[in-house]
Amino acid sequence: MAHVVSSLDQPSNYKDSQARVDRQKQNDLLAKSTTLYVGNLSFYTTEEQIYEVFAKCTSPEDGGGIKRIIMGLDRNTRTPCGFCFVEYYTHAEALASMRYVSGTKLDERIIRCDLDLGYKEGRQFGRGKSGGQVRDEHRQDYDPGRGGWGAQAQRAEIERRREVEERYADAQDGPGAVAGGGGDWKQEDSGASTNKLKRERSPDDDGDERLVSLNLPFFRVVHL
Amino acid sequence: MSYERHGRGGGYRRRHRDRDDWDDRRREQQETPDDKLKIAIIKLGEVDPIEELPRLEQQIRDHLPRNIPILSEAFRIGVTEQPYKSPFYAALLRLLYNPSATNTSEETPLGRLVLEDFWKGFQSYLDKVAWRETRLCIHFFAHLTVAGLVSVDSLLTLLRSFTAVLDEFGVSHGRAKRAALCAGEGLIIAGSVLKAHNPDSIDEIINAIQAFNDTTTNLKWLVSPTTPVSAQTVQHESTSELLETLLNVLNHLNQSDFNDVTTCFPQPYKNSSDLDNSSFIPYDLPLVLVPPEVIELDPLSSDSGEDVSIKKEEWPEFFVRLFPNDVSPDPNTPAGYIIRTALLDIVDIFEVNRKECARLLLEYPKWNLPGTFKPKPGAPTTVEPTPGKDWQLESTIIECVLGIYLLLPESPKKSIYYTALITELCKLSPSTVGPAVGKSIRKLYQLTSDGLDVESARRFAEWFAVHMSNFGFQWVWKEWIPDLNLTVQHPKRAFMRRAVEFEIRLAYHERIMKTLPEPMQSPDAYVISDEAPGPAYDYDDPTNPHHESAASILNLFRGRAKVEDVIAHLDTLKASLESADDGVNPDTILRSMVVQSLLQIGSRSFSHFLNAIERYLALLRNLAGNNNGAKADILTAAAAFWRHNRQMVSIVFDKLMQYQIVDPTDVAAWTFVNGVTVGQLAELAGPLNLSAFEWDLLRGAIDKANGRVTIARRKVAALKKEDDDARGRVKAKADDTMEVDAEKAETVAAPETDSPQLQSALKAFSSLIKEQKAVLSRTLEGFVSCLAPSPDEPRANPHSRTVVSEDAWENRANWGRDEWNAWETWGWCRQFCRVYSPYLRMYNETLYTISLAKFEKSTDPAGETLKSIWSTATGQDA
Repeated sequence: MAHVVSSLDQPSNYKDSQARVDRQKQNDLLAKSTTLYVGNLSFYTTEEQIYEVFAKCTSPEDGGGIKRIIMGLDRNTRTPCGFCFVEYYTHAEALASMRYVSGTKLDERIIRCDLDLGYKEGRQFGRGKSGGQVRDEHRQDYDPGRGGWGAQAQRAEIERRREVEERYADAQDGPGAVAGGGGDWKQEDSGASTNKLKRERSPDDDGDERLVSLNLPFFRVVHL
Repeated sequence: MSYERHGRGGGYRRRHRDRDDWDDRRREQQETPDDKLKIAIIKLGEVDPIEELPRLEQQIRDHLPRNIPILSEAFRIGVTEQPYKSPFYAALLRLLYNPSATNTSEETPLGRLVLEDFWKGFQSYLDKVAWRETRLCIHFFAHLTVAGLVSVDSLLTLLRSFTAVLDEFGVSHGRAKRAALCAGEGLIIAGSVLKAHNPDSIDEIINAIQAFNDTTTNLKWLVSPTTPVSAQTVQHESTSELLETLLNVLNHLNQSDFNDVTTCFPQPYKNSSDLDNSSFIPYDLPLVLVPPEVIELDPLSSDSGEDVSIKKEEWPEFFVRLFPNDVSPDPNTPAGYIIRTALLDIVDIFEVNRKECARLLLEYPKWNLPGTFKPKPGAPTTVEPTPGKDWQLESTIIECVLGIYLLLPESPKKSIYYTALITELCKLSPSTVGPAVGKSIRKLYQLTSDGLDVESARRFAEWFAVHMSNFGFQWVWKEWIPDLNLTVQHPKRAFMRRAVEFEIRLAYHERIMKTLPEPMQSPDAYVISDEAPGPAYDYDDPTNPHHESAASILNLFRGRAKVEDVIAHLDTLKASLESADDGVNPDTILRSMVVQSLLQIGSRSFSHFLNAIERYLALLRNLAGNNNGAKADILTAAAAFWRHNRQMVSIVFDKLMQYQIVDPTDVAAWTFVNGVTVGQLAELAGPLNLSAFEWDLLRGAIDKANGRVTIARRKVAALKKEDDDARGRVKAKADDTMEVDAEKAETVAAPETDSPQLQSALKAFSSLIKEQKAVLSRTLEGFVSCLAPSPDEPRANPHSRTVVSEDAWENRANWGRDEWNAWETWGWCRQFCRVYSPYLRMYNETLYTISLAKFEKSTDPAGETLKSIWSTATGQDA
């Protein structure tokens, strides 16, 4: 219905300003993307809250679902810093989130979704002194949901904050640090279970291999 | 790479790049004069359509060189994407029939040229069986017939070709319903001229629709949202069914010779002077034949079933009524039907942009007659309200959107769309939409105790929670405090509990706790748990006999021990458990310790959980083996660990299936046996039954199995095509060589067998089909054992048979926990049969034989009801 109104699921001007792939290639990737960049989250919002909202856009009967959620962390403090990646199994689910979830509230903040080229190792770390997430760094208003002056709020808030601060203290860098979430169904090996034991890594990380093969450099998220 | 380098000082470059983008977009949007004209036509009526019409007419006439295809395309877009403007496009076309000032009267009127080209577009919609566009074009043709531009006979013939669909042999309900709407709505608009021309034809069309409608009684029984399990008749209080409203409206209009429609929608084309009947020849719409549905062409082209795509069943559409007739129009009246259809079309067409959709809905009164809706509060009253109208716009819109949202067995688009749309409506006009939403919530809450279908009630709770999370969780809970006196599983109390649980998932426990009045905060009110829904590691307690063993496993996981080392340790533990011989199954204990310890490692977040599972995938697969008991143990351990957080139970089960540690059938089987014990306060559990939570687990399992078949089917199709293409190439090459060297040709003969990839894909497909059948079969069997339990079932619900009778339903004020539990289980059984009917049909015979054939000669009321739900859903009755 592009004649009368524009569709909300179009890629916005959110982009990877560092990517060495040309724009055409980026557009092709976005046209198949199953990953969303989700911004303007409260620092306290949990992955389960995110899961609850984004699960409403899944199409399990088409082989879809939420593959994984990658919380954006401050590189130095290892605490959530207001963004995440939500990866689905299908492109249609990512589009549905653009249409129905982007611009609505999660944890009492209006969140924003953008189609993303796909998670790449290291991208979960943003902000901080050298982080890449710059979109709302110039925010002036009072914002208890993102730390700052809200800290001396109520005890419950402090408790919530403590949990948040500890939760990702163990977050690691490097290959395999972020789980894949499980891939397509595979015929079980007919071999003995000892065979299975040798399979240390998940055999299901197809999605990651695809991204790695693109050889994208670490890229930053820039909102313009 | 330094981040700083790009983080700072990159400003110029970024701005520069930004401008590149800008330039790209500008170039793309460069408009030709043709485009400008097209846009002007599409935008007709931004301010006032009547005033703009002559201006637009002139602009079209002045546009040279003439471009008929551009004009007709603009009309097509206007008519099919902005159907509320249809009467005005008809008026515009009428103006384009007037002779132009400069030319002689012999030339073909411009309007006629546009109409002839417009028809081609209609024909292509019809060829694609694009029902919505087809129906909206028919609206347009009907207006043109009243305007005198289309011949009455040809419109009649067109409508008849749609009623002919109703007589097709084996026509699907969906196809027939859509065809009936095409014919019926065309008749509403053009009825006055059709009846004057040929009164018999009116009866003929109405009777055809009526005859079809009469065949759908059983289907209606299964999808009416307020009909008790027992009643075979459909209750019409608080609901209206789409085709029935159409028939009521047609019969009503027919009695008044369709003169009433002049008060239902504008007919601006009537303002033009009459055409000169002596010389003017109206356009004869060409004859058409409604082509068969693409998907229904050849459903059985392959024995193995991989070519069959699943077509969603289409059901009668029951819309819940939330307001009295003086607040929102009765859809059984012509004006009410037209308004609802217009709103439904807007909601459907503008799904791509909910914000624009909300705006257009609130602007709808502009396209209907003045006085139809109350003016906005504070706006000057310029027109007198029309007697019998003067409806409240926002209530009408909310009723309509919630009506689609609550359609059974599922809404046409994703539920979240309608939720988000209502949010946008509230944001645009909080002071007027807010109260309409509040009243709707109260009405639906009331309906839950009058038999609102369990699936509708579940969706109501889901909408409520998401809506509240967008508006600060502000709900006046205290008005429902008196309902805490109802029995604990009463639908109203179930609703409160569920809504609060969903709200907590979207926020957090403390946040929701403080929105509740004190009587609801208390644990014995069973509205909210007294603690936040955290993990429950059974072995944390030092008094637990297996505390130390579990701690040793936990430590191995913490230290990221190798899988082999963990297994070696487990073998030692097992040996000592076996020697202890304290009556417990050592394997079960071991599985429980491993699963709970792993979940404990991963309890911090969803991704911690994924990391823990992926690190020990091999261990879990080893633990599960090919042993159904082991898989049930794993599920039990996981459910126990997350017993205070049912969202996590669903998530963990989903991923255990995704990683192929358990199969969907394991989850279905487990749910019927153990589901009720999860996170239920002891007070709520009781005998075998299913609540919305267990239904979510079942749905997760069935959808997983169905989704895998869908993926496998696509893969097989793609590989088959690849193989065929390869064969084609080889054959082509062989044909070429043949002429040169006949001997060599034999060596390059096309491969007869399938490629190895295709063979393995076909193998996977047949495994997955088996799993799909198994999970459906297990679920049906589960329902049968819950609802018609055998005498030796230890946990049978004594009321599962009694609640189906109509007398029992009338006595529901005296129902206790078990009666309501049994009633809800019946509701989920109905939902299972109707929402999965396309899948159940595929295995109808096998499933029936396994689970239902035993009731063939019995007089068990539960067996009877199960059979009639089944036969309706699988189309045996249709």
